[in-house]
Amino acid sequence: MKVSSFKYLVNQGIKSIWVNRLMSFASLCIMTVSLLMVGLSVLVSVNITKMIGNIESKNEVIVVIADGAPQVSIDDLGNQLKSHNNVASVTFFSKDEAWVDMQKDMTEDEKELFQYIDSSPLPDTYRVRIKDISKLKTTCADFESYSFVDEVNAPTDFASILTSLRNIVAILSSAIIAALIIVCLVIISNTTRTSVFARRKEINIMKYVGATNGFIKVPFFVEGTVIGVVSAIIATITTKIAYDSIFGFFENDFQLWSMFGVSSLIPFNQLAWKVFLAYLLCGIVIGAIGTVISTRKHLNV
Amino acid sequence: MVEFKNVSVVYPGGVDALHRINLKINDGDFAFVVGSSGAGKSTLIKLILKEVNPTEGEVCVNGYNLSTLKKRKIPELRRTIGVVFQDFRLIPTMTVYDNVAFVLRVIDAPQKYIRSRVPYVISLVGLTHKAKAYPSDLSGGEQQRVALARALVNDPQLIIADEPTGNIDPALSYEIVDLLKGINACGTTVLMVTHEHDIVRHFGGRIININAGTIAFDEVIGGGNEG
Repeated sequence: MKVSSFKYLVNQGIKSIWVNRLMSFASLCIMTVSLLMVGLSVLVSVNITKMIGNIESKNEVIVVIADGAPQVSIDDLGNQLKSHNNVASVTFFSKDEAWVDMQKDMTEDEKELFQYIDSSPLPDTYRVRIKDISKLKTTCADFESYSFVDEVNAPTDFASILTSLRNIVAILSSAIIAALIIVCLVIISNTTRTSVFARRKEINIMKYVGATNGFIKVPFFVEGTVIGVVSAIIATITTKIAYDSIFGFFENDFQLWSMFGVSSLIPFNQLAWKVFLAYLLCGIVIGAIGTVISTRKHLNV
Repeated sequence: MVEFKNVSVVYPGGVDALHRINLKINDGDFAFVVGSSGAGKSTLIKLILKEVNPTEGEVCVNGYNLSTLKKRKIPELRRTIGVVFQDFRLIPTMTVYDNVAFVLRVIDAPQKYIRSRVPYVISLVGLTHKAKAYPSDLSGGEQQRVALARALVNDPQLIIADEPTGNIDPALSYEIVDLLKGINACGTTVLMVTHEHDIVRHFGGRIININAGTIAFDEVIGGGNEG
């Protein structure tokens, strides 16, 4: 195909968006709404997963070191904990630090009561952050088997609640997103089919004058791509506006939410490109390929 | 040249559209194909355009054996044929110029050639002043002349006119057939399907009468205008 012919076909595709503006507008709206529905659902799911992850990461396992353990053994235990594959970080908290820390939270009466104690009555501890909270029980059992470990304190009940919550959210959001994708694909394919059906005579005439299938498909492909790209841009802007207002709501009441261990939402700027590229990819794939597939039926003349 | 050798067409529903047809239309011929509705005229055209395949027999058009012609070669075949339909079949979203130029764009013709050829062909059918108009702005006769220009622009070996006068005024019908006769005089084979006996009697020439899927009559008669 010559460059001039290709240019002509691209022009035809763009022109036909305007010529068939009503159907183009319908396709654009449906595509944008579909992208938004799926996109926003994904964003909600990503944020909920992140929040649960944040709550999880705040939970520490406290490994109490046996009283009288020599410093070498305490260091060995630290290294042993760090080398465990489910450990994110290990912080040593000496008995003195713990005692100072505890005194900060004491009332004046309590302070008076404990003023005659010279040395810390608390044990040395390691505060361990866990990578995967669903494996908390087995990880704690591993810790208990290490030498010079007196006891292991972990919020195992809370962890199991969080794990099941995360699983429920994952299953529920996957099901909702999958259902939305199917619904959107059905709606979009019906719209493109209607749009192509309205122009079946045009396709038919092209076939009679000896146009190849490729020649007929290119303008439809261009049309679908342009609609896909424009939908992606509109969907990204709308997502940003919607997301920013939800983000603002969370930020205003951040103190309140953080009391429940809920972290802030992921800022849109961190997601903008990913969201736009995902929308663009879906828009082009569904718009262009969907339209071309719909023309196939009318090409067998 | 168009040749049918023992061609039969039976549609999936069991309808026997054509039955063992033998027909030869030589280069440069002008032939009227007549017959009542359902006689098999449309099937004959569909066979030439390879829109349907024969159940039996062989069809050859402009040097292509349609029995062995691959699907991807069909556009190539159709570029050697100009078709004029009863309902004009112009692309409503294109101007007269673009409707005619489209055929040349399909075959990747150079822009320079398109710019010179299209206005020339439009002038042949007397529509230069309507080149920028859309089909909806034209009368039936004018639309049919655009369809004729479109069929002609590619300089095809064969023009098939399927009831080209069916949707236009009787006075304009003679004009259209006159144009077709003029095209034929330049060497293009013309096959015109019609059931307007007045036109056939007026112009005369080769008449192929199809009846119940067979050729009932294939003769040359003198026309009324030939005295």
